[in-house]
Amino acid sequence: MPPLKRLVVLASLLAAPLAGAGAQSSGVVYGTVRDSTTGRPVPQAQIILVGTNLETLADTSGRYRLAGVPAGQVRVLARHIGYRASLRTLDVAAGESANLDLSLRPSPLDVEPVIVTAAKRSQLLDQAVTSVALVSDSDIARRAVSTVDEAVNKAPGVLFLNGQVNIRGSSGFVEGLGSRVLLLVDGVPANEGDRGGIDWDVVPLEQVDRVEVVKGAGSSLYGSAALGGVVNLITHDIPIGFHGRVRATAGGYANPPEQLWSFRDYTGGLGGLDVTGSYGTEALRGSVTLGGRHSDGYREQDKSDQWETAGKAEWHPAPDTRVTASGSWTSHQYEVGPPWCERGHCDDHGLAFQPFLIDTANHGAFTRSDKGYVAATLERTPSARFSWHARGSWLRTHFTDLHPGPDDFGVANRFGAELRGEVHAPGGGVVTVGAEGSYSDVTSNIFTGDTTATSDTIRSHDQSEFAAYGEGEHQAGPVRLTAGARMDFIALDGGSVSSVLSPRIGAVLPTRAGTWRASLGGGFRAPSLAELFVSTIAFGYRVIPNPDLQRETAWSFELGNSTALGSRVHLDAALFWTEARRLIEPVFTLQAGNPVIQFQNVARARLRGLDMSLVAIPFPWNLTTSLSYTFLDARDVATDSVLAFRPKHLATLSADYGWHSLSVGADFRVVSRIEQIELAGPYAGDPRVATKVVDLRAGWERGPVSARLLVNNVLNYIYSLTPGTLEPVRTVSVTFAWKY
Amino acid sequence: MAGCTIFPAQRGVKLTVRPRVPKIGPMPSRMWRLALATAATAACNEGLQPTPTCPSGFVGICGLVTFQVPLPDSLRDSTDAVFIVAYKNFPTAPESLFNFLPLPPPTVPTNNSTYPYSLQLPNGRYQWVLAVWKKKGTLTTQSADSLLREVGFYKDDGDTTTHGSGIVTVNGTARDSIDFVIDFGNMHRICTYFPPCPP
Repeated sequence: MPPLKRLVVLASLLAAPLAGAGAQSSGVVYGTVRDSTTGRPVPQAQIILVGTNLETLADTSGRYRLAGVPAGQVRVLARHIGYRASLRTLDVAAGESANLDLSLRPSPLDVEPVIVTAAKRSQLLDQAVTSVALVSDSDIARRAVSTVDEAVNKAPGVLFLNGQVNIRGSSGFVEGLGSRVLLLVDGVPANEGDRGGIDWDVVPLEQVDRVEVVKGAGSSLYGSAALGGVVNLITHDIPIGFHGRVRATAGGYANPPEQLWSFRDYTGGLGGLDVTGSYGTEALRGSVTLGGRHSDGYREQDKSDQWETAGKAEWHPAPDTRVTASGSWTSHQYEVGPPWCERGHCDDHGLAFQPFLIDTANHGAFTRSDKGYVAATLERTPSARFSWHARGSWLRTHFTDLHPGPDDFGVANRFGAELRGEVHAPGGGVVTVGAEGSYSDVTSNIFTGDTTATSDTIRSHDQSEFAAYGEGEHQAGPVRLTAGARMDFIALDGGSVSSVLSPRIGAVLPTRAGTWRASLGGGFRAPSLAELFVSTIAFGYRVIPNPDLQRETAWSFELGNSTALGSRVHLDAALFWTEARRLIEPVFTLQAGNPVIQFQNVARARLRGLDMSLVAIPFPWNLTTSLSYTFLDARDVATDSVLAFRPKHLATLSADYGWHSLSVGADFRVVSRIEQIELAGPYAGDPRVATKVVDLRAGWERGPVSARLLVNNVLNYIYSLTPGTLEPVRTVSVTFAWKY
Repeated sequence: MAGCTIFPAQRGVKLTVRPRVPKIGPMPSRMWRLALATAATAACNEGLQPTPTCPSGFVGICGLVTFQVPLPDSLRDSTDAVFIVAYKNFPTAPESLFNFLPLPPPTVPTNNSTYPYSLQLPNGRYQWVLAVWKKKGTLTTQSADSLLREVGFYKDDGDTTTHGSGIVTVNGTARDSIDFVIDFGNMHRICTYFPPCPP
């Protein structure tokens, strides 16, 4: 019997005895969650009815209400990052309300947060079969970052290469094309319809409550693009009553450390303002964010302006039903700087390269990038054992590159829909099944598939995907076993349909030596429309289309352990091994005797290594230190060479100290020198160094007001990660925030 | 010395950049301070540096001079210029001081922390490439010791010359990365090389 069919049968068997459970009488549990030391309410605390899929969040006053609670003795779990979880048992009578006030004890080493991405449902972090890195709302606030990519970049094991996210070396760097990481916004896929890449500014950071980064192959639940991992941006829940947030940032960039690199006679500045307002009742809630930011940039021709708006609405027509609508629109206009100037292509002052200047041939290059999405979800929880979820979404991107010569443009859409069900068995088993479809199209003068590069040709291409998936979790003694698979069907330009199966098995075993996890999964990525049909000029070479590109595939294995070493140290470590085939990479090839660039299935790659995160709270208690480290051995097996754009070592050392309303902290990040780059020809002399960057921060918070000082790259370390692209210099910013 | 010292491995030259190490306030943990000091020290090394290069088709030598300390205010009014010159043979007497190349020698602006220079030179073997500070005044053999100061010269670890200067051979192409340090805090009289020095 095929795995998928077996899962469907399993789901049916599990659901059958639950029909009665849904019909039994229920009650309501309500109360307030407070900090046990200060007595203050704990907003956004998560309250879970153990053994069911019932859960809710406390509002800004710490109040919560759980409806549809099965009559009888129930267990209620309350948790929040930074607190020790609290588990209480109480009796609920049918048709009655039971009051349960909960108090949470502060504990910086909270090791049991709830996640929603690794299994496409709520689960405890230590029940996930793959590694998951979290960026909490307090992390985002403490680090005073302004954009989503800055927030994600701080997650352990994550490295951004000029805007392209890498999880354990997944993507490398291909000018933003063909990400091997899937971006979700509240579970809604948000990779671009044309390039398959990620626009990190599609959602204002102000809307983001927390970020979950799932490492390793995620295709068994999420399909294409989740080959190397999943990043889920989870937006704020809307509290009851009137609320508002204002966040203002101002700062500046350091000048070049060498006079020979000077490029302007003023100090570049940056600033931004975001305003959020929300109103909510028990039944209806809504929030709107408006924002804008400007940056002079830290190098020549690097100015940018961005305007953004986002909104979210919730309707709770019944205790077991929630309808959510959300959307955003961002318009980003920015000058295009890189690559930097090589000798003879600008006022080079006699130097081999000028990292702060650009090639004069690129003067005037400018991009306008508009993007937005709308999504609607319907969630129903007919019983404590069964829930279902339906969603529809539309993501649209529109870019125009204005540069010397003909301009490029592309308009892309990605429509998506999903229906998912979740069944909880009395013994602790869970089955998740679903179906998902998407349709992407692009109209462009650059992704045309035309064999002659000309801006006069405008063509459209599309790709359709349909998938069915299922995953079951079973408690066998102390071990939680997971098995699942997803079958994807893909059609390009209405042509023939190809299919791919992505299975995954996993296990979690709690022991005295910590919680062990292991998983083995298959993944794939279908080539993006851009990789298939790009036809343009880059680095002075023709880039030709390759409509025969095949999907790339990978098998990933992981063995991990999460251990609390006493009450002050927590260690999470994982060994990972990925075998990838038919990786899509840009290569030089010959066409009619002339060198051209083309995306081809060329490499058979192996990525293996160690990923670890250590959090320690040495004396005094309000000092928190952490070390995250990733060792990566990434090789092109076919050529027995190092895989391009995969640094071997990535480490971040952090420390934060709090004293009353004040806090200070620092990060030190090291990325070893990138040994290999792609398309080395145009960048044969690229000077690359290891990354060694120190960031400092300080904060003050009193009640609803906070101020934070952030000094990134405090030593003004000059470096690049991708050829010809200077990474940010020392940047000083001050952020004021006010909440109502 | 304030600031942090950088050792670019490619050129084997010691550079000193302006002080910009942040002042870290008192921290409660010795380990914390140690970690941050380690981080700061490590981060201070090996970033990208200005990399001089000879123009295409150039015949001669090019490099980067780095100022160990700025030109002292006490010398500012009396300074005529700082020159970079090359000698095929290490001068053995005050009279041979004038056998330098090229003519006229290029000057180095003293308001920079680093400066890329280029010396257009004929083919040959050059024993001494140096920077010379010149005081205002008319230069003669007799006035050389009072008007000229050696303020830095190119060194090569593998060199065995008497004064430790690096030998540079120009052979129809450009020789890159002939980098050295100019140190106004360690200026040498000409008589250092032609002793005894008058009082």
